[in-house]
Amino acid sequence: MRVQSDLTKNRRRNRTALILLTVAVIVLAFVCLFVGSSHMSFAECLAALAKKGSAAQVRIIWNIRIPRVLAAIIAGAGLSISGLIMQTDLNNPMASPSTLGVSNAAVFGANLSIIAFAGGFLDTGNHLSSYTVGANPYATSLMAFLFSTVSILLILGLCRLRAFQPGVVVLAGIAIGSVWTAATTILQFYATDVGLSAAVIWTFGDLGRATYRTDCIMAVVVLAGLAFFTVMSWQFNALLSGDAAAKSMGVAVDRLRFVSMLLASVITAVCVSFLGIIGFVGIICPHVTKRLLGQDHRVSVPASALSGSVLLLLADTLSRSMGNGSALPVGAITSLLGAPFFLAIIFSRKGEHD
Amino acid sequence: MLDIQNLRFRYSRRSPMVLDGVNLTLRDGEIGILLGKNGSGKTTLFKNILGIQKPESGSICFDGEELLKLSRRERARRIAYVPQSIHFGALSVFDTVLMGRVSYFGYKAGKEDEAAVEAILRDMKLEDYAARNVEQLSGGERQKIAIARALAQEPRLLVFDEPTGNLDIANEQLIIDEARRAAREKGIAILTSLHDLNQALDLGDRFFFMKNGKIAHAGGAEIVTEEVIRETFDAEVRIAQIEGKKIIINGGHKI
Repeated sequence: MRVQSDLTKNRRRNRTALILLTVAVIVLAFVCLFVGSSHMSFAECLAALAKKGSAAQVRIIWNIRIPRVLAAIIAGAGLSISGLIMQTDLNNPMASPSTLGVSNAAVFGANLSIIAFAGGFLDTGNHLSSYTVGANPYATSLMAFLFSTVSILLILGLCRLRAFQPGVVVLAGIAIGSVWTAATTILQFYATDVGLSAAVIWTFGDLGRATYRTDCIMAVVVLAGLAFFTVMSWQFNALLSGDAAAKSMGVAVDRLRFVSMLLASVITAVCVSFLGIIGFVGIICPHVTKRLLGQDHRVSVPASALSGSVLLLLADTLSRSMGNGSALPVGAITSLLGAPFFLAIIFSRKGEHD
Repeated sequence: MLDIQNLRFRYSRRSPMVLDGVNLTLRDGEIGILLGKNGSGKTTLFKNILGIQKPESGSICFDGEELLKLSRRERARRIAYVPQSIHFGALSVFDTVLMGRVSYFGYKAGKEDEAAVEAILRDMKLEDYAARNVEQLSGGERQKIAIARALAQEPRLLVFDEPTGNLDIANEQLIIDEARRAAREKGIAILTSLHDLNQALDLGDRFFFMKNGKIAHAGGAEIVTEEVIRETFDAEVRIAQIEGKKIIINGGHKI
């Protein structure tokens, strides 16, 4: 039939894009695994991967690089779908976890833990020493997570009073985000030099903090989100037509918006708590996929997830090969890569409408 | 049949009644037209019927069922909506129309949903548009897609807010014809608002003149008189008869 044959072309394009992105994630994961500051050769990496190299090399691959690569894949996907869903929920292309103050609240929580409760909490695990001194290696992450969750609930609770108008959510997010930033500034003003530098270093996103355990926790949350967003694809598609139209098609708009905003925020909160601030993934990746593949959530949810992983893997590989021995903060690289790209999108879009 | 009894609505306890005892009945296949000044409560009435807003008191029955007691999805299978300003998001035309079936399939569209959409596209001569991005279509084309999506809900009632608001003459006529066809061929009741009184006379079977949150006059074309229009809109018009059809001329000029 004619309609079907026309549509097949679209579907084939979408399938090809998803396959290409999956291949890119796999290839980049291996590239990422084989690049690093210890200057291991390709053969040595392969041997270590098969647990046949020297003990140190096996440890580098299995205890440092693999958790890191997994973190890039999981957190990239998570941050990207969170951004996508927030943009749909709030009908605002600029919406992202940072617009809603999730990241600001996480920064405050981490600062509080590091500055007010001694810098020993900075360490987020992966070292035996932190267990022996009795400090909880997850204290900083936990505080970051708690504060971002409280912040989200506060915003969502406030917005329930006002029947969830998207504009109100964004404004509330900006207002509450600025409160966290102000509180962080005051906290930092009273910090010691050591505390301050530890707190600032925490905010640099760093995939090196990932362990298998943190990867598992992130994976559970991100997969739950991915599953929910995929199942609700049609509801999100309907939401693109506006609240009134979506309601008239039988979509429980307010509930969908509340649950998905909460889930998207929790995904961000978990990733940011373990890895620090990784900016812009939530804006760039959804925008690029929507531009290339359209806004159908059946496609844009998995495509955004994969492109988020690609960006973070790419940024991480770059950060470790440019740092001359030490890895540059990956959060800075995503923004450096992302900002020009983002500007290009904005300006080309303007041309389209004129 | 749509049967609204004594419907009252206000936005908050302290604000005045926007709908102050609305009574309205509309039979299957009939086209009802709401006429009234801006702010007379037309869109609010639509939103109450669609379940977007909850009335304070009164009842909205459809074929004997109280709409307020139905779930959102059940209501969507009976009543469809074509909003005044239409935007969809960058989806294909086919997927946009398929979206109208979401109250039937819920999470994943089945073969029968796709077949229903194909039939509608064929019927409305939109087959060539199926794979196109709906965002890149013109205003008139998008309005047509919105109607197609509403029809995909297989509704018994179609609520149509200002269908010709932003269209040129050719597209206006196209949309009016499409609405008439839905009513005549599928027996769908249509409730709509129009600003152009001549268009209203051309399309409507029943007319509801709204003022101060009430339906002041209701009936067939015979109730559309100079006095009723003056009372509803505070505007002078003259009505002429040409070939048995009423023509409304703005202003109090003699002809």
